[in-house]
Amino acid sequence: MNIIEVDNLTQDYGHGRGVFDVSFAVREGEVFGFLGPNGAGKSTTIRHIMGFSRPQKGETRVFNLESFHNYYKILSNVGYLPGEIALPEGLTGWEFIKMMGDLRKTKDKERLIYLLKKFDLNPAVSTKSMSLGEKRKLAIVTAFMDDPEVLVLDEPTSGLDPVMQQVFIDFIKEEKKRGKTILLSSHMFNEVEATCDRIAIIKDGRIVTIFNAKFIKHNENKVYDIRFDKLEDLENFVKTFPRAKFKEDLVVKLGVKDVFKDKLSVHVAVNDKQVNDFINLIIGYKIKSFTELKLTLEDYFMTFYREDKDFGGMLKWKK
Amino acid sequence: MEEVIKVEHLTKDYGGGRGIFDLNFFVAKGETFGFVGTNGSGKTTTIRNIMGFIKPKSGKVTVLGMDAWKDACKIKENVAYIPGEIAFPDLTTGIEFFKAQAELLGLKSMERADELIKRLQLDPSANLKRMSKGMKQKTAIVAALMADKDILILDEPTTGLDPLMRETFLELILEEKKRGKTILMSSQMFDELETTCDRVALIYNGRIIDIADVNAIKNSTTKAYKIEFTNKEDYQKFKKLKYNIIRDQEKYFQVTVQIDDSEINKLFKSLSKYNLKFVSEVKNNLEKHFTNILEKEIKGGKNVF
Repeated sequence: MNIIEVDNLTQDYGHGRGVFDVSFAVREGEVFGFLGPNGAGKSTTIRHIMGFSRPQKGETRVFNLESFHNYYKILSNVGYLPGEIALPEGLTGWEFIKMMGDLRKTKDKERLIYLLKKFDLNPAVSTKSMSLGEKRKLAIVTAFMDDPEVLVLDEPTSGLDPVMQQVFIDFIKEEKKRGKTILLSSHMFNEVEATCDRIAIIKDGRIVTIFNAKFIKHNENKVYDIRFDKLEDLENFVKTFPRAKFKEDLVVKLGVKDVFKDKLSVHVAVNDKQVNDFINLIIGYKIKSFTELKLTLEDYFMTFYREDKDFGGMLKWKK
Repeated sequence: MEEVIKVEHLTKDYGGGRGIFDLNFFVAKGETFGFVGTNGSGKTTTIRNIMGFIKPKSGKVTVLGMDAWKDACKIKENVAYIPGEIAFPDLTTGIEFFKAQAELLGLKSMERADELIKRLQLDPSANLKRMSKGMKQKTAIVAALMADKDILILDEPTTGLDPLMRETFLELILEEKKRGKTILMSSQMFDELETTCDRVALIYNGRIIDIADVNAIKNSTTKAYKIEFTNKEDYQKFKKLKYNIIRDQEKYFQVTVQIDDSEINKLFKSLSKYNLKFVSEVKNNLEKHFTNILEKEIKGGKNVF
C-alpha cells in the first residue's frame, strides 16, 4: 500500500528552478531516500507533500488525502522534520517540546525521555542559545516524540557531528524494524545507503532514477580487475577469454569488458550465476592479482551528474 | 627531505583530559598529510598551534624552520588557511571580503580568485551574513586559495559542501598537490583523505594513535575475499583446506579468506572443485585500517566513527 504519493508534481519558480513532473510513491513500512545536491528540489517536493504549497500541476497525497487541502490532518499524523529549523523566540527547549506536545496531543512521556537520552539533548536551555546541532536534535526529538507511523525528514542530520549521525542512523534502523514509513531527504551517501530500501535521485527538479538499494549493496553483476605479470600473459588472456555481453546493466555473458595494456590488467564482468563457469575458465591462466571494482552509491549518483562528460549505458565502476 | 611542518612533543592540556598530549609528526615538502578523528579529539587545537594562534604548553612547532608561535606573522606569508569555524569580518558582500583579503595579502591580480569562484559556482555578490553554510565554506576556500601560497592548512574544508561541490573541491586539492603544494588537511571523512593524502594521522583523545601510509594500504598485496557456497558440504570441505579464514558465517555457508596475491591461482584452483554462489572482495581501506587499530586501543570498544 502506498502511504505517500507524488503524481506529476510541477512547481515552476522560473529560471529553471522548481520541480518538474515529479512522480514517486512511498510504500507502507518502507524507508525511501531522496538524494540530490542543494537546490535540486528536495525541499520543494517535501513541502508539497506536507501541504504547505499548492502545486501548479499534479498532486501529492498522504494516506490517500490530497495534501494541500488536508494539511492539518496530515500534519497531526506525520512526524515532520523541516530542512531549515526556525524555532519560536524566547522559549526554552522544554517549552518548545511542551508546545509541540500540546499541538500533537502527545501523552507518552517515557518516549520523550528515551529520545532526549538517545540524542543526548539538554532541553533546559533557551532555544536561542542552542547550536545548530542542538536545534537539529530538538527537531528530531519533537518529530518522533508522539511516535507517528509516518515520518517526513528533510536533511535530518545536517549540523550533527559524525557520532550523532551514527546514533541517528541506528535509530532510523530501529524505527524501520518497528514498521514505520519514512521519507528521508539527504545528500549524505552513507546515511541513505545504511537506511533506505529504495532511493530516488533528483537533478534540476526532475527525478532521474528510482532504484532498489540492493542494486548497490548486493549487486550480482560484478566487475573484477585481473592483473598479469607479463604482457604476453595479458595478450594470451585477451585472445582466448570470451567477451562480455550486457543487456542494460545486466551481464548476460561473462567475459572481458575492458583491456588496460599499460597497467597489464583487464576488467572482467561476471554475473553471480556465472561464477562457477568463471572459476573454471580462470584456472587456465596465470594471474598476478584479483580485485573487485565496487559500485558505491556515490559513484552511481555521480553518473547522473557527470552525464555531460561521460554518461553511457554501462555504469562507471570505481576501484 | 625537507620537513615543512614539524610538531615535536606538542602538549596543550586544557584539563579534564581535554587537549593534546605529546604529539609528534611532520609534513614533508610536497606532501599531503591528513588528520582524522572525532569532534573534540584535538584536530583543531593542533592546527591552531601550527598557525601560531595559541602557545604550546610544552613541545615545539616549526613551519619552514621558524617557530610557529614567535614567527607567526612571517610564517603566514607562506600559508593559506581555512578555519574549522568560519567567522567573517563585518563586511557586506563576498566581493568586499575578497578585496579586503587581497589587500591584506598584497595581491595584485584577482585572476586566481575569479577562476576559483567560477569553479566553485559561488555568487560573491551575496551578502556575507545571509550566506548558507555551504556558501560560507566556498567563500573561505576562495579567500584561502586565491593567493597561491605554498603551504595549505585546511581544517575540515568540506563541511557543508554538497556532494558535487565536495568533488570539485577535492579535484582542486589534487591539482594543488600536483603543483607541489604542501598540504595539511583535517577531515571526518575517510574517503576524502584516502583520495587526497599521502599519509594520514589518527588522533584520539588528544593523542596520535597511528600514522597510516595511504599508498601502502591501497597497494597491499594482502587481499580478503568473501566466498559463499551453495551447499553445506562444499562449505565444510573448503574449510578443511588450510586457508586463513578471517570470518566464518555458517548460516550462509560463507567464509572470508585472507591471502597474499601470490596465492590467488591456488585459491581459484581450490574453488573450482566446489559450487559457489558468489565471490566478492572485502576491501581494506583507511577506515577499516583505523577501526582495527582503535578496536585494539579501546578494550571492547566498537566503531567510534
